[in-house]
Amino acid sequence: MPVPEVAERFTGSVNRLTLGATKDDGGTRTSTVTVGGARNVVYGGSAADTGEKAVIAMDVLDSKPEDWPDVLLEPYKNVLDSPGDWAKMCVEEFGADLICVKFDGIHPDKNDKDAAHAVKVTEEVLKAVGVPLVLWGCGYDEKDNQVMPKVSGAAKGEKCLIGTVTEDNYKSLTAIAVADGHYLITHAPLDINIAKQINILASDMGFPLERIVTFQATGALGYGIEYAYSIQERQRIAALTGDKMMAMPVICDVGYESWRAKEAKLTDAPGWGDPADRGPTWETATAICLLQAGVDIIRMRHPRAVATVKNFINKVWT
Amino acid sequence: MEESKKKKKKKKFTVRFEPSGLKIKVPAGTVLLEAAHKTGIYLSSICGGDGYCGKCKVIINEGQFKSKPTALLTPDETRENVVLACQTKILSDMTITVPKSHTLETSQILMDTDAQRFSELAGEVREGIFEFDPLVRKIFVEMSPPTVHDHTADHERLYLAIREQIDAPIMQTGFRVLQKLPKLLQSCDYKVTVTIGRRGETTEVIEVEAGNHHERNFAVAVDLGTTTVVAHLTDLTKVATIDTEATYNSQINFGEDYIRRIIYAEENDAFDEMQNRIVHDVNNLIVTLATRQKIDLQEITTVIFAGNTAMIHFLLNLDPTRIRREPYIASAGFVPPIRAAEAGIQINKRGLLYCLPSVAAYVGSDIVAGVLTTRIFTKKGISLFADIGTNGEVVLGNQDWLVCASSSAGPAFEGSGVKHGMRAGAGAIEKLTILDDGSFELKIIGNTHPVGICGSGLLDTLAELFINGIIDRTGRFNPNGQPRLTEGDEGWQFQIAPAGNEHQEIVITQADINNLVRSKAGVFAAIRVLMESTQTKLEDLDAVYLAGGFGNFLNVRQAVTIGMLPDVPLEKIQFVGNTSIAGAKTVMLSRKALKAAEKIAKSMTYFDLMSHQGYMEEFTKANFLPHTDLSLFPSVKSVKCKT
Repeated sequence: MPVPEVAERFTGSVNRLTLGATKDDGGTRTSTVTVGGARNVVYGGSAADTGEKAVIAMDVLDSKPEDWPDVLLEPYKNVLDSPGDWAKMCVEEFGADLICVKFDGIHPDKNDKDAAHAVKVTEEVLKAVGVPLVLWGCGYDEKDNQVMPKVSGAAKGEKCLIGTVTEDNYKSLTAIAVADGHYLITHAPLDINIAKQINILASDMGFPLERIVTFQATGALGYGIEYAYSIQERQRIAALTGDKMMAMPVICDVGYESWRAKEAKLTDAPGWGDPADRGPTWETATAICLLQAGVDIIRMRHPRAVATVKNFINKVWT
Repeated sequence: MEESKKKKKKKKFTVRFEPSGLKIKVPAGTVLLEAAHKTGIYLSSICGGDGYCGKCKVIINEGQFKSKPTALLTPDETRENVVLACQTKILSDMTITVPKSHTLETSQILMDTDAQRFSELAGEVREGIFEFDPLVRKIFVEMSPPTVHDHTADHERLYLAIREQIDAPIMQTGFRVLQKLPKLLQSCDYKVTVTIGRRGETTEVIEVEAGNHHERNFAVAVDLGTTTVVAHLTDLTKVATIDTEATYNSQINFGEDYIRRIIYAEENDAFDEMQNRIVHDVNNLIVTLATRQKIDLQEITTVIFAGNTAMIHFLLNLDPTRIRREPYIASAGFVPPIRAAEAGIQINKRGLLYCLPSVAAYVGSDIVAGVLTTRIFTKKGISLFADIGTNGEVVLGNQDWLVCASSSAGPAFEGSGVKHGMRAGAGAIEKLTILDDGSFELKIIGNTHPVGICGSGLLDTLAELFINGIIDRTGRFNPNGQPRLTEGDEGWQFQIAPAGNEHQEIVITQADINNLVRSKAGVFAAIRVLMESTQTKLEDLDAVYLAGGFGNFLNVRQAVTIGMLPDVPLEKIQFVGNTSIAGAKTVMLSRKALKAAEKIAKSMTYFDLMSHQGYMEEFTKANFLPHTDLSLFPSVKSVKCKT
């Protein structure tokens, strides 16, 4: 008796989008990155349903990080003051698919740097690497509203992924991102309904849904990863069942969240094993777990974690 | 030293309140709010005197006082000697001005068109849907006096005569009536008017009077609301509503919601005072109605109440404390008829007091009355009933089943917790339209200058701001290019009506809008939970009834636009006003209706939303205009926010 075909089929799919504009496309990128396109859950359906491979965006900070543990600083110790060199290193040595410029330094509680600084960093990174960019604000609404529109302008036409916009603060960045031809990251606090609401709000402002990537907030291993996992999974299922407001590819912030975990950064804990391995392992485990839920873009930090996760992606998404 | 302290304590000051001119003498140090309230002057207060709602503002014209500092007054107000009455102590003789916004004139809340509608609804009884069989009726009985050949005793003679006219298998008579009966019968040649009252299956001879007065039989139906108390005077022989009157529930000084009042009563052992207040309010209404209609209180033989469970408990001084605590139970859901005088209600001293049955601690007899009035329990198709009060109660069902839930919607649509919110009375903006040129068209009750916005006006405001892109789907203002939008003390505020010679500017604030959106979200989430739990689809709904004290007028389209009611064809939605009092009147006029009400109360299944797994998620989904799932509101889809 033949084994019956039991594979589940869905009517919807995750939007497919291509980040980065090459010369032909009016930009200066030398490569582009396409994400999305899945027509089934991870490991579900036929190979054709798998969609695009997940990609890794490596974090580059606009100014020297102040709270990174030594293990994480070590690989970048010579480039920390130069975002351009840092980005170059990530792409050339560690194989980053994308560079995520994280503008921590503009935060009023940190360096409170101005828009001119942010624009300069953006230009530097654009010049240094040919991969598409993710441009990520500091999370302080007022400051982001001052600075990020300028950053958007500096990368105009490059088809960057810019964000994030929240329910409380979406209007200025959404408007400018439409004008500058970028892609937008909508950000919700681990709440599937609010995630959808912010997509609707952006869409109400005329932002095309097919140019949105969602960020549901991320929890690291041991720090709420189950919430992040199930929301990611719910979004994928919503997309597959035809909810246009939830059919976006997903980005998650594994680097920042994993390295906040004390298990990743504590050095004085002999029973926990070598700190040089522990941090990268924590980051790797978090990333691989979330990949199963259907994440499309992962922000990461440590080169060893990046290498392991890349290896995993290449084996699963053949 | 000790003595002088004592002497000082005993010192009393006179406080005079303008514009009423009422005066009171109070000991030094008395809180102004308390003094006002002892004088019988109404000052709004949501927080019950805790100093955080900022509603009890008054102006001090002269006198010494001591006020706690508060962030709820603007520097301008402080300069003009505006204080929060609840935070101010009296230190000398004083003169106070009570601003107009507090003024409570009972006649203002009268809703003539509602009254008309209610009379029509009571017409159900006349139409024979429930047969006319009032709970208390008067009949004229002519007996042949006893003779040597007919030596039936007086009392049994009376029973026989009564039974010739009405069906009364089980009868009882009060001892006092029995004692006076023989002399009375002999004095009037055995021609008497008998007042009989139904107490379950038993029929009581309440009163016997000489002569024929059977056409002088009146009853009062009362809707015992947390915020407003409404009374209708009814002629039981003509089956007609003669007059209506309404007042604010004076318990309001102890908190705007009943949970707060239960806490207050518990902490201060003030259950007697709670009862006194509500009884006083009801008696005032009854006396006002009777005086105006030249009816003797003795001619009112029935009083019937519908209201939330806690209010019924306060009225009868039944222990309400377990309503707010686990296991959340009422002391009585089915209150048997009692002598009205026992509760302190001033009608005929032997007249009866009835309460409609309630379902659960949080679903009161007002909801049973609503189901009775809308008759959803007799219909084959499924109906939805939503009563928006301080809580938003929702009932779904048909002739075979009924489910209900109560969401803590909050009193926003009653005008509470909204800066310029007010109840439907003179000066309330009851209708608002934004015209194509951006100007506002307002309809104000009593065609006077605007004082505030009532429920229907708030519903319009929310919907109009939304469809005109002034607020986005989360209810946040779009600050771009809105001349009416300014930044006030509490964040963004939008001008609804500019200030005039006689009135202040009317605005709606961001906080108000958030309250209104949350309120509608609570109601819609409750509707969703009931519909999902019973697998009721949108197209299964045959009728949707919206009840509540919104005002005279309500645009049901707006209730759909903001996502408070499901998006069914508009002709299926009906605004039914105050169904609580309509149901109370129906029951008063028909014993069958009381039985139906009891059946409804027994058969309704209560869904506890607080312990319901899906409720919070439904609430988040509904906390958006009109809803996160736009496909639930296809008719609202075209609305786009301007950027």
